[in-house]
Amino acid sequence: MRPPPANATINRLIALSLLLLVFSGTLGLGAVWVRQEISAIANRSRALEARIAGTERGLDEVNALVAAAVNPDALLRQNEVMRLGLVSPQEAQIRRVDGSPELRLAAKRNREIFNLASAPAGDHAPEFRHVTAALR
Amino acid sequence: MSKGFANHRLTLLSLGVVACFMAVGVRLVYLQVVDRDELLRFVDKARRQIVIEHARRGTILDSRGNLLATSRSEMTVAVDAWALADYLAADKNPARRARKSAEEQTKRVTLAGLLALPVADVEKAFSPAMRPIKLEADQRDGLVDGLTKDRWVKLREGISEATYDRIEELNIRGLTAERVYRRVYPGNELAAHILGFVNKEGSAAAGVESKFDLYLKGEDGWIESEKDGARREMAQFRSREVPEKDGHDVVLTIDSVVQHMIENELKTIGAKYSPKFATIIVSDPMTGRILGMANYPSFNLNEYNKAPLDVQRNRAITDQIEPGSVFKIVAAGAALDQGLVTPLTGFDCSNPLINYKGRDLKLPKEDHEFGRLTVAEIVSHSSNRGAAQLAMLMGEQRFYDYAQKFGFGQRTGFQLGGEERGMLASPKNWDGLTITRMPMGHAVAATPLQMHMAMSAVANGGVLLRPQIIQEIREAGGKVTQTFAPERVGQVLKPSTSALLAQLLHGVVGKDGTGAGFDVPGFEIAAKTGTTQKIINGRYVTTHHVGSFVGFFPASRPEVVLTVIVDDARVPGGSNYGRAVAAPTFHRIAEQLVQYLDIKPVQPAARSLLAMTGGAR
Repeated sequence: MRPPPANATINRLIALSLLLLVFSGTLGLGAVWVRQEISAIANRSRALEARIAGTERGLDEVNALVAAAVNPDALLRQNEVMRLGLVSPQEAQIRRVDGSPELRLAAKRNREIFNLASAPAGDHAPEFRHVTAALR
Repeated sequence: MSKGFANHRLTLLSLGVVACFMAVGVRLVYLQVVDRDELLRFVDKARRQIVIEHARRGTILDSRGNLLATSRSEMTVAVDAWALADYLAADKNPARRARKSAEEQTKRVTLAGLLALPVADVEKAFSPAMRPIKLEADQRDGLVDGLTKDRWVKLREGISEATYDRIEELNIRGLTAERVYRRVYPGNELAAHILGFVNKEGSAAAGVESKFDLYLKGEDGWIESEKDGARREMAQFRSREVPEKDGHDVVLTIDSVVQHMIENELKTIGAKYSPKFATIIVSDPMTGRILGMANYPSFNLNEYNKAPLDVQRNRAITDQIEPGSVFKIVAAGAALDQGLVTPLTGFDCSNPLINYKGRDLKLPKEDHEFGRLTVAEIVSHSSNRGAAQLAMLMGEQRFYDYAQKFGFGQRTGFQLGGEERGMLASPKNWDGLTITRMPMGHAVAATPLQMHMAMSAVANGGVLLRPQIIQEIREAGGKVTQTFAPERVGQVLKPSTSALLAQLLHGVVGKDGTGAGFDVPGFEIAAKTGTTQKIINGRYVTTHHVGSFVGFFPASRPEVVLTVIVDDARVPGGSNYGRAVAAPTFHRIAEQLVQYLDIKPVQPAARSLLAMTGGAR
C-alpha cells in the first residue's frame, strides 16, 4: 500500500487542531459565561439580602417608635397635650349589669324605632320587623 | 519551494509552539509551586475577608406583648481624610482638581447640617493628620518616625438609618460608617429595675438583660469571601458562610399598665414624702406571677449612665427591713393552723408582764391601751402583746418553723437572682425576749418580696409559691421554646386556716382596724399594716420608720396581692406609720386594679340600674 502524501496528513492535523481550538475556545467561553452568571446572581442575592436586612432594620426602628408612642406614659402626655380629659373610671361611676348590655341597648333602640314604649325590657331583644318607609 | 524546506519549516514551527508551551508550563510551575506560599499570602491579604454578621439581640416583652426593650441599628460616622487627599492628588489636572475639591467642600457643608455639627469641626476631621504609634509597628508609610496616617476620625455616633441614607446620597469621599446595634427602652423608666440594661460596649449589666443574656444575645454569624479593589465583597467567591442566629425574645409576667400604675404612685410617694426608698409589688396569688414591681427612686434606662449605682438597685429583693406588724400573720396563722386558738379566743393585752416558762417577761408596748382582745381583734388592732402571747402559746421552735414555712430567712428563688436571704435566727440563738419581739416583726429581717410572697401564701389557700417574673422564652420566629409554670415551694397553712386568716385580715380595714377607711366597698380588702422603728446607731429610734401595707383582695376570692412599703417617709409631725404613708397608696392602686383587671365585686352594691336599661330612665 502506498503511504498517504505528507501534505494531506499535515492538512488533516491542522484541521483537527483548528477544531480542537474552536472546541476548547467554546468550552472556555462557556466557562467564562457561567462564571459571569454565577457572579451576577451571587451579587444580586447579596443585594437582596442587604435589602431584606435593611427592611428588617426599618421594621425594628418603626416597632421601637410605635412602642415608645403607645407606652402608658406617652399616652397620658398626649391626653394632656390634646386636652382630651380622659381619666380612668372610678368604682362609684361603674354600674355592673348581669345581662348582655348589647341586647339591652338593642331593645331600647328598637323601642324607640317602633315606638314600643310599653314593651318589657329583658335580656332578649324583641323580634325585628322590616322597617319600611311608612314606619320611619 | 522544495519539499524539504517546507518540512523543516513545519518542524521549526512545532518546536516554537512546544517551546512556548514549555515556557508557560515553567512559569506555571514557578507560580504554583515555587512562589505558591508567598503569592497565596499576598492574595489572602489583598482579597480575602471575613465579614461578621451580627445577630440581632432579642426583645423583651410584657405579658400582653408590649415591647419593653428592643434593638435599633445606628450608624457611627467617621472620616478617612487621607482617602480624600489621595483622590484629589490622583488628578493631575489642576483646574479639575480644584473643581473636585470645591464640590467635596460643598458636600461637607451639607454633611455638617445633617450631623448637627459645626462646619469647622467637620472640616477639621477632613484635614489629613498623623497619629502616633509604637516605633516597632511603624513600617506602614516607609518612614520609621513613630507616626502613621490617621485613617479613622470619628465624626459622630448614634446617627439614625434615615439620616445616614441622606448622608450616603451625598457620596462624600473619605466618609466611612459603621453600623452598631443600640438597645432602646421605649418605656424609659418603665420596669427599669427588672429589665436592667445593656451598656454601650454591648455588655448586659443587670436584671433580665443580664440574667437571660444567653437567650437574648443570639449568635453572630460570619462570611468568608473575597473583596475587589473597591473593597466590595465579591459574593461569587464566598467560601464559607455561617448564618447568624438572632436572639430569643423573653416574655415577662409583668403588665405594662399595672407597672405604670405603680410607678406613678411611687412618684407621688416620692414627691410627697421624700422617702429613703419605696417599693410596690403586685402579683397574682394563684400563680405567683408578678404583674408589677417597682422601686423609688428609679432611673431612665436610656440614660443609665446618669443614674447612681444606688438608684439602679432593685430594692424589692436587695434591701432587708424589719417586717413589723405584717409579720403578725405568722403568729396568728400558725396558732390558728395548729388549732390552739379560734378567732374568738381571748387574750389579756393590758398586762405589760407575762410569765413564760417560769420567767416574767416584759411584753412590748402597744400603740393604744388594750384590754382583753380576741384573736380577730389582735389582728385587726395589730396588738403587739396579743401577737407575743400567740407565739408563746406555740413555743419558740414551732413559731420558728412557721416563720420558715412562710419563706422568711430564705431566698424566694426570684428568677433574676441578686436577692438577699433575709435574717431569721434559729431559736437556739434567741435571747429571752425574742419570743415576745419577733411576733411583732422585730429581730427578723426580710426583703419586700419575701413579705409579699408570705402574704400571697395566705391569699392562695396556704401555698408558698416561687415568684415568677419570666413567662416564656420565644425564638425569633415566634415559636415558644420554654414556658415557666407556677412553682410550689411548700404548704404553709391549711386552706381552711388561710381562708379564716383572710377574713381576719379583712377586719384590718374594718371600723376599728388599723387600716380603717381603706377598704374598697364590694372588694373585701384583706391587708395588714406595718410600722417598724428604724435602727440608727444600734438603737431603735422613734422618728424614723418603715411603713408598710401588705394585702390582697377580694378576701374571699383573692385575685391580686399588693405590697406597698415606704422607708423613712418624711411626714410633718412624724406620723410616718404604714397606715399614713402606705395604706392610701394601696387603696388608690386597688381601685385602679379593680377597673383594669376587671375584678368583679364579691358583694355587688345595690345601685341604680340606669345602665341596665340602656340609659332609658
